[in-house]
Amino acid sequence: MASNSQSSGSNPPPKPWERAGSSSGPGAPFKPPSGGSTSDVVEASGTAKPGEIVTSTDRNAAVNRSTLARPVPARPWEQNYGNTTYGGGALGGYGSSMNYNSGYGSGGMYGSSYGGGLGGVGGMYGGGMYNTGLGGQMGGYGMGVGPYGDQDPNNPYNEPPSPPGFWISMLRVMQGVVNFFGRISILIDQNTQAFHLFMTAMLQLFDRSGMLYGELARFVLRLLGVKTKPKKANLQGPNGHPFHGQQQHPSGNMNYIEGAKTAPSGSWDNVWGNDTSE
Amino acid sequence: MPVFKTPFNGYSVKFSPFYENRIAVATAQNFGILGNGRLHVLELSSNPTLPITELVAYDTADGVYDVTWSESHDSVVVAAVADGSVKLYDLALPPSSNPIRSFHEHTREVHSADYNPVRRDSFLSASWDDTVKLWTVDRPTSVRTFKEHAYCVYSAVWNPRHADVFASASGDCTLRIWDVREPGSTMILPAHDHEILSCDWNKYDECIIATASVDKSIKVWDVRSFRVPISVLNGHGYAVRKLKFSPHVRNLMVSCSYDMSVCVWDFMLEDALVSRYDHHTEFAVGVDMSVLVEGLIASTGWDELAYVWQHGTDPRAS
Repeated sequence: MASNSQSSGSNPPPKPWERAGSSSGPGAPFKPPSGGSTSDVVEASGTAKPGEIVTSTDRNAAVNRSTLARPVPARPWEQNYGNTTYGGGALGGYGSSMNYNSGYGSGGMYGSSYGGGLGGVGGMYGGGMYNTGLGGQMGGYGMGVGPYGDQDPNNPYNEPPSPPGFWISMLRVMQGVVNFFGRISILIDQNTQAFHLFMTAMLQLFDRSGMLYGELARFVLRLLGVKTKPKKANLQGPNGHPFHGQQQHPSGNMNYIEGAKTAPSGSWDNVWGNDTSE
Repeated sequence: MPVFKTPFNGYSVKFSPFYENRIAVATAQNFGILGNGRLHVLELSSNPTLPITELVAYDTADGVYDVTWSESHDSVVVAAVADGSVKLYDLALPPSSNPIRSFHEHTREVHSADYNPVRRDSFLSASWDDTVKLWTVDRPTSVRTFKEHAYCVYSAVWNPRHADVFASASGDCTLRIWDVREPGSTMILPAHDHEILSCDWNKYDECIIATASVDKSIKVWDVRSFRVPISVLNGHGYAVRKLKFSPHVRNLMVSCSYDMSVCVWDFMLEDALVSRYDHHTEFAVGVDMSVLVEGLIASTGWDELAYVWQHGTDPRAS
């Protein structure tokens, strides 16, 4: 394979396009090529400037000579690898390799600018979900563990928090104990109150229902024709005779207290009966 | 077709213009951010079932971002190194005497290198110091420096049909076309609204050039009337990193992208996307088409793998 293409001299095999000949149309905007070696041609044109070293100040001058004034991006070697648009063609390229990380941060892996969303290595977890979760949880007891809420467990760049001091841990233990007994006592209290309320309600219910059923029974019995007489106040003697010496009140109501009692003449004679003759 | 595992992340791959079974792969450690680099020269076996073997490898103190083969010496490669140097290696010499040259004038990373395929005595380097430099092998310093871009230059490519013309693609969103005999650029194309990462000339029409950009699109331009592109090729999901016209078919080109795919396009068709290869599991950043074997494609990426396959077949099938 190599043998047939080996060229013996110092010239490579003719190029395919050279074999094809010129096919470009007329009007090419180039001056016809000059003969001779490149260095001779350049020197003949008077533009040769051997060994010129372009410093950064010259570069700025070159910018001024430029006919196009466009904003140019940061130099590749000045770019922050984390957020470059990788365009630089060259070095930009390796910036973008770092941007693989951005998949975690922005969810935009291979996003429009190929990972432009990466804020920086340290900030990847920053302000993350863990902080708020933790802080809120501890805050629920009303005390809050402020400084520790800021610690991100996944942040490898923060030092781990120092252990709490003796009094802090002591207070936390006490807080736990108080909290525990507080819950126990509130349970007991609530149970007692509930039992009390229940019993009170039952008693009241029985009380009311006793009256209710009494009245109901009386009503039913009345319907059935059972006359329950109201207790009359007039005294009756034996055999239905009223007391002999007793004065009937016109209203039928006895007046036990008011009015003077007429003492019977015989005084104690008719105590055991209305008629002694019987 | 065969695959080769490189120890570092691949950055560029090029077929040799002399040997149809030889490729060079530029790699950089740690995705090119920091670390060493290594330039591999690999040999494909004539039997496609056999694995790719490594001919030689050169270590560098910084990542190697691009490589180009010399058009005048079959054993010479030019490497664009991230420390700002351009190094020449001769495979025929022992490793102790390599690199044979190291040009250090760029003040920033050198991102591309391209050897002149017409005149074959010079090459270009494009750097993040916003300049393009023209070098010849026989001079110890650069011949010329082209400084007009306002931002990193990602690619500078010779016109394959014109010895004095090249184009440069830059992060300042412009494509500039230069003639080495002119003091300034001859044309400025505000080609995209985002950075342009790569460009390449059509091999059969010296006026047609394509640009690949961060805006995920490839645009094909005619330099004679560059107000509007001839064609806009959409289909990549992310920035298009590199682009190469086919040496054999006029309208065909191959591109690789940060969406990890390698796509083959025919820019004259209504349905321009001819095929898509998803064999890379990381950014595909280097692609090339063989000049000597029609349809042979090589690609490399940050998954540390270099693939060579025939167009139309599955790169992973071996």
